[in-house]
Order: sequence, then structure tokens, then C-alpha cells
Amino acid sequence: MSAPEATTAGEPLLRVDRLTKTFGGVQALKDVSVTIRSGVVHGFVGANGAGKSTLIRCLAGIHRPDAGTIELDGAPVDIHTALDASRLGMAFIHQEMSIIPGWDVLRNMALGMPYRTRAGLIDWKATRRRAEIVAEKVGIRFSLDAIIDDLSTADQWLVMIARALMQDARLIAMDEPTASLSPQEASRLHGIIRELTAAGTAVIFVSHRLAEVSELCEDITVFKDGRVVRTAVGQRLTSHELVEAIVGHHMELTRRPEPPAHVGEPVLDVEHASDGRLVQDASLQVRAGEVVGLGGLVGAGRTEFTRLIYGAERLRTGEVRLAGRTVRFHEPADAVAQRVGIVPEERRSQGVFLDKSIDFNINLASLDSLRTGRFVPWLRLGAGRKRAQRLIDEVGIKARGADQPVGALSGGNQQKVAVARWLTHDRQLLILDEPSRGVDVGARAELHTLIRDLAGRGAAVLVVSSDNEELVALCDRVVVMAEGHVVGELVGDQITTKAILALSFARAHKQEDVA
Amino acid sequence: MTTSAPLTTEPAPAAAKTAWKRIILLGVSKYGTLIAMGILIVVFSLGVPNGAFLSPSNLLNIVNQSALTAIIASGLTLVLVVGEFDLSVGYAASLAGVLVTGLMVNQGLAIPVAILVTVLVGSAAGAANGFLVTKAKVNAVVATLGIGTMLVGLTFGYSAGSPIVLLPAGFVQLTLGRFLGIQNPIWIMAVVLIVLWVLLNRTPLGQRIQAVGANAEAAKLVGIRVDRTKIAAFVIAGACAALTGVLLASVLGSGTISAADGYLMDSFAAIFLGSATLRNGEFHILGTLIGVLVVNVGFNGLSMMGTATFWQYIFKGGILVLAVALSTIARRYARA
Repeated sequence: MSAPEATTAGEPLLRVDRLTKTFGGVQALKDVSVTIRSGVVHGFVGANGAGKSTLIRCLAGIHRPDAGTIELDGAPVDIHTALDASRLGMAFIHQEMSIIPGWDVLRNMALGMPYRTRAGLIDWKATRRRAEIVAEKVGIRFSLDAIIDDLSTADQWLVMIARALMQDARLIAMDEPTASLSPQEASRLHGIIRELTAAGTAVIFVSHRLAEVSELCEDITVFKDGRVVRTAVGQRLTSHELVEAIVGHHMELTRRPEPPAHVGEPVLDVEHASDGRLVQDASLQVRAGEVVGLGGLVGAGRTEFTRLIYGAERLRTGEVRLAGRTVRFHEPADAVAQRVGIVPEERRSQGVFLDKSIDFNINLASLDSLRTGRFVPWLRLGAGRKRAQRLIDEVGIKARGADQPVGALSGGNQQKVAVARWLTHDRQLLILDEPSRGVDVGARAELHTLIRDLAGRGAAVLVVSSDNEELVALCDRVVVMAEGHVVGELVGDQITTKAILALSFARAHKQEDVA
Repeated sequence: MTTSAPLTTEPAPAAAKTAWKRIILLGVSKYGTLIAMGILIVVFSLGVPNGAFLSPSNLLNIVNQSALTAIIASGLTLVLVVGEFDLSVGYAASLAGVLVTGLMVNQGLAIPVAILVTVLVGSAAGAANGFLVTKAKVNAVVATLGIGTMLVGLTFGYSAGSPIVLLPAGFVQLTLGRFLGIQNPIWIMAVVLIVLWVLLNRTPLGQRIQAVGANAEAAKLVGIRVDRTKIAAFVIAGACAALTGVLLASVLGSGTISAADGYLMDSFAAIFLGSATLRNGEFHILGTLIGVLVVNVGFNGLSMMGTATFWQYIFKGGILVLAVALSTIARRYARA
């Protein structure tokens, strides 16, 4: 294995040339070229789905690029598996760190590459000696015998970095390392990253916090819609310049919806909601007949906010009012009983029952209406099947029949099933989280029509989406969150992808202004 | 249900061939256990002299021997459908046998009252399991093992260690009697299984139990009270266990410690055997009944053929492993 000092600082270490990657017709990367230099922190910035993560996944051997080359030290390399990447001296730390809970720091650091004795057993003495040197280098001040669960997130990051160094990594890619760190912890991490690069290691630093990127990163690549739109080598960009590059001169192609004919009383009124962790003092209002979007970057706390509203998580402080009355939902069933409909974020694991039939999936939310009598629990399954069939036609679910398992349907049709179950009865509020993720363009337009129709019939609708064009096409009003806070609201013609994106990064500005 | 092949202009002969293969494999995965039972019946009817195996009285005898296991196993089936586990049902049944006899002999309660109280105690044990699993979030294996062990303790405590005998004649007659020429336990089993089948397949609670078992997170977000649903399943399992314990005490003519402990393993064997029948690995009431019957057909036939007892156990374990493995493998190949 080559030592870090093989290349001198500032020399190109990794060169990505015109990399292209397509996922089922969607171009995730288009002709992306990036050069990573030894001993330099290289920032990757861009909106959701801009291509940062896809590029990193190609480098990590998780995805295979369709075209383009990757060169290490001037020689082309083929990365087929995660093991290939690690053998080449590249380490990847994803946001959901791959720590083993319950294990101590030493065992977590040594994962995958412990030293062995001649008998083939793990040589804990040698491993520990090496770990102590590495720990010293990254500034680990806690015991190697500490249980990893007891450490703060920041310290767990240090352990992940230490693991990378145990494997002699020359390049460490970190995906949003500071997202869940306090400002003090983040600046400690910055210091360690600077020491790493001073020793010759290259670091790829992915972050939505533009102020820190502009301060920490010597080189920066800005991604937008799968392309590299700006490269800055050895030239620090301000966070204003970064926002400009990320937002760009986007052509507004999306058509705005007709304004609602009639907007009624507030149905949902949330004031100062906090969960003490990911949602801080968030407020919003949705009126009858209105489609309100909840925009922001991934990890901004939008899903967590909606889960607080419908009782899947405990509200620490704040108040939720439904149709003017203060409510306290202990579980989603309480919300559903108050005529709230929920279409969760993860369709396959939360939204539908894949092995069950369409009519089972649809009728589950309104079983009591199929009872023969109040005191006779016998279900009129025939009536249920007819009702499901009617909704299948109404919503346009492409299926062989109501008895077909939902798992056999396409993603878009699965999602329509998840929505259709709330159409058996009038709902006063419908909360949809990423309704068209993984849904093809045609089904997406149909879902949008469906959602608009629901609002047209007087329901209040709240839509979480990371796809800003969807928010533009669908919403009468868009509330934007960043880092757990509501940072702004856009109404009517103010709603453009550019405006949503600019607001999504808004909090980064504020921090810079304070600094 | 054949293939969901897209519309192609020329269906290749090779594709037709694999479609046949798939139908056969799906058939094996769904009907393998039933086919095995058919083969067993044919073998025994030829192997047992004088056609004694196929005589109506022997067939009724097999069902009668299956009745008690079928009741306790069907209750337990609901717990498995809801996605949990219950190791306490055998001990709950043993406690029920001692309790129901003791309530009549020592406390002098009338037969129906004693049975009712016992079934309520069984339900309470189920509720305790349910609360531990849902509210205290104790792993079901641990929770039901703990509760089950405590039930053993209660059994010893209540009976002071010796069997309870001198039961009222009416209580013994409960399982000895016949109605329309068919043994009472068969009728009781039929009623319990029909009630449980309707409950699971034709009531809101049953749909919720199925939904929670299929995907608890999705069920929660559809507005199902997951905890309550799970507790209900445990309560039903506890009640069925108690009923089986009561009937066993009537059959034995005494309340005997540990008499029903063995039902736990028999129930699990039957349920898993049944999950490999008719449906794709799902637990269901009819499957459980078939599972119980297959085991008892084997036991009955083997003993009538004069086979040594140890073979009966080897048969029981063997058919369980074989049926489930065969059905799983067939299903996997049918999908591939």
C-alpha cells in the first residue's frame, strides 16, 4: 500500500474525466470532470439531486459509470466494489455512519483491517498500537475502550476518520459531516480536516452549509442538474457566489397551477413546534382548499416536522390546531380519526403493503365503514372490493384488478394506491411526503391533478417535496425549511425554483453574517 | 395466475415450457403439504391391515386427537400473523387444567363458571404478554418466556404440587360425549376455528392484525393502533390456550401439572407446516388445521402399522423441515 507522502501536496491525486451516469432515463451525471489534489480540501456543493452523491457513489464503487474515466496518480482505475476503492486508498464516510453500535472505539476503528498474528488470529496488541498513533493524529481524546454509542456525533465522526486513516487512506470523502454537529463541534472537525490535509491527505467535503465550505475548502466544485457548473481551484468563493452558482440562471419552464377558486378557514395551524432535535420553533398554516408545499434541502427537518404534526413523533413544545381546536396526537391513529390522511415518505416500506391486494391496501384506512352494523363486526368485503374498483378507475391505477398485489404495480401506481385509500371519505387535511419520488413523468402529472382536485373539493393539503419544480407546479404557497427552522414563505408568483433554492440555503448566509 | 409476461408478438415455445414449470413449482409450494398428506393416507390405507386406517371411527379418532392442538395452535397463529411470538401458551394451558379442576373441586364452583374464570385468566396472561411486548418493548421471546415461567410457578403454587382429581362427572363428560355421533372436542374445535377464521378474515380487527404483521410501520401510518392490535392477538392466544387446558383436564380426568406443556412445540410445528400450505408462506387458520392433521395422520398411521414410537418423532420433525424447505425452495424457483 502506498504511503500518503507518495504525492506532494497540491499535485493532482484523482482525476475524474467526463463521467456520465444514467438511471432509468434520468441523467444523474453528465460529462462531469473533477480533479482532486493531494493535501487539499475539495468542497462539493449543489442542490438535492445535483449529482454530488452520485459522483461519490461512483468513486466508492457503489455505482458503475456509463462513460468517462477515473484516474489515480495518472493511471486509469476501475472501481467495481467498495473493496477496490479501499485498496486504492480511498475512504468514504457517509452521513449514516457505518459504526457498529455496542462495540468499543478500538474495534470500530479496526473494522475490516485488523492486524493478524502468524496464527491468523487478530493481533489486538499491534492493532491497538497502530490505533493509538492514529487517534493521536486525529485528536481523539477519549479512551479507545469507550463504547461508541456513548460518544457524541462529533466524536463518532472522528472514529470514522480514524478508521479511514487506519487503512492508509489518501483520499477521504465526507458526506455532510457537519449536518448534525453544533458550531463548536463543527469547528473542531474543521481543525482536524486541516491537519489531515497538511499531512498530505486529500479530503472531499460535501456540505450544504456554504459559509463553512467557503471558509474551509481550497478547491470547490459546484454541481447543478448533474453537471459541473463552476470549478474554483485555489480560489475561495464567498457563500454569495456559491448560491449564485447553485441557483444559476434557471429557465422557469414549469407552469403554475390556477389559483384556488376558494380558500377557506385555516384547517392546520402549527405554532412554534419543536422536537428538541431536528425541528426548531417551526410554524405553518394550511387553509381549506389550499395546497401548501414544504421545501428545503434533504435533512432540513421537513419530514420530521410533518411527523410531529400527525403524532408519529412526540411534540416537545409548541401547539398544533386542527380546524381551530388544539389537538394532541399520541399516535397517527389519533390524527386519522380526525380526518387527516397521511402519505409517508418511503412508499415501499411505509406507504403500502406490497404483498397485500389493492383492495386490502385501500380499505385498511376505513375498515369501520365496511362493518355490517355497529355491533356486527362482519366486513362487507364485496362492498369494499367495489369501492376499491371504483377508486382504481377514478384515480387511474393501472392494474389487472382489485385483487392484484400492490407489489406487482409500478412505483407510480403504488403511490396512487397510497393516496386512494384516503379518498373513501372526506379528509380535512392530507399530508403527502415526497409524493412523486421514483414516479414516472406521466403518473406524476396524474398525481398532481389528483392532489389539486382534492384541494378543489375543500381539503387542506400539505406537500413535502425535494423537487422544487414539483413545488412550483403544484403549490399555492411554499414554506421553506433549513436546518430545522422555517426560513421563509413564498406565495403565488414568488414561487420559482430559484427562489425556493435561494431560501433553502438562507440559513447559511445568516451564520456567515454572524461570524 | 400464470405469468405476467408483457404482450409479445410471438410467444416462444421455451416460454410456454417455463410457464408450465412455474405452475408445477407453484403447485408444489402451495399444495405440497396436502399432497404429502394424501400420500400418507394412501400408504397407511394400504399398509394397515383390514383397511382399519380408513375406517370412519379411526378417521374421527384422528380428528378428535387433533382437536385440542388445533385450538391452541389456531390462537397462537394470530400472534404469528401479527408478527410476534408466544412461548407461554403451553404453560398457560397447563395452568388452566389445574385451575379449572381446582376451582370446581376446591372452590366448589359450577362447571361453566370455573371454565369462564379459567379462560379469563388465560386471557389475562395473554394481556400481560401483550403489554410487555408493546408498552415495555420487551422482545416477545423474552417476555413470553418470562410470563410462561411465572405461569409454571402459579401452577405449582395453586395445586401444591399434586394432581387434582375427583372431578364432577359432567366435566369429564364434556370431552367424552358425542353429538350426532361425533366427539364433542371435534365440535368445539370446529366452532373455535370458524370463529377465529372469521375474526382474521372478515372483521376489522383481523384485517388490522394482518396489516400489522405485514408491515407494522405502514400500519401505524394508515392509522392502525399497532399496540392494541398486538395485545388483542396475545389475548386471543391466551384464551385459546386456556380452553385447550380445560379440555385436556377433562380428557385426563384430572388437573395435572405440566400436562399441556408439550402443546407449545406441537403448535409451532403445525403453524409452520400450515404456512407452507395454500398460501405463500403466510400463517393462516386453515393451514394450521392442516398442519395439525398431517402430524396426527402420521402418528396414527405409524402406530397402527406397529412402528416404534421413536419413528413417530423422527417423522414429525422430518415432515416439518421437509415441507417448509420444499415449499420455500419451490416458491423461489417459481419466482426466478
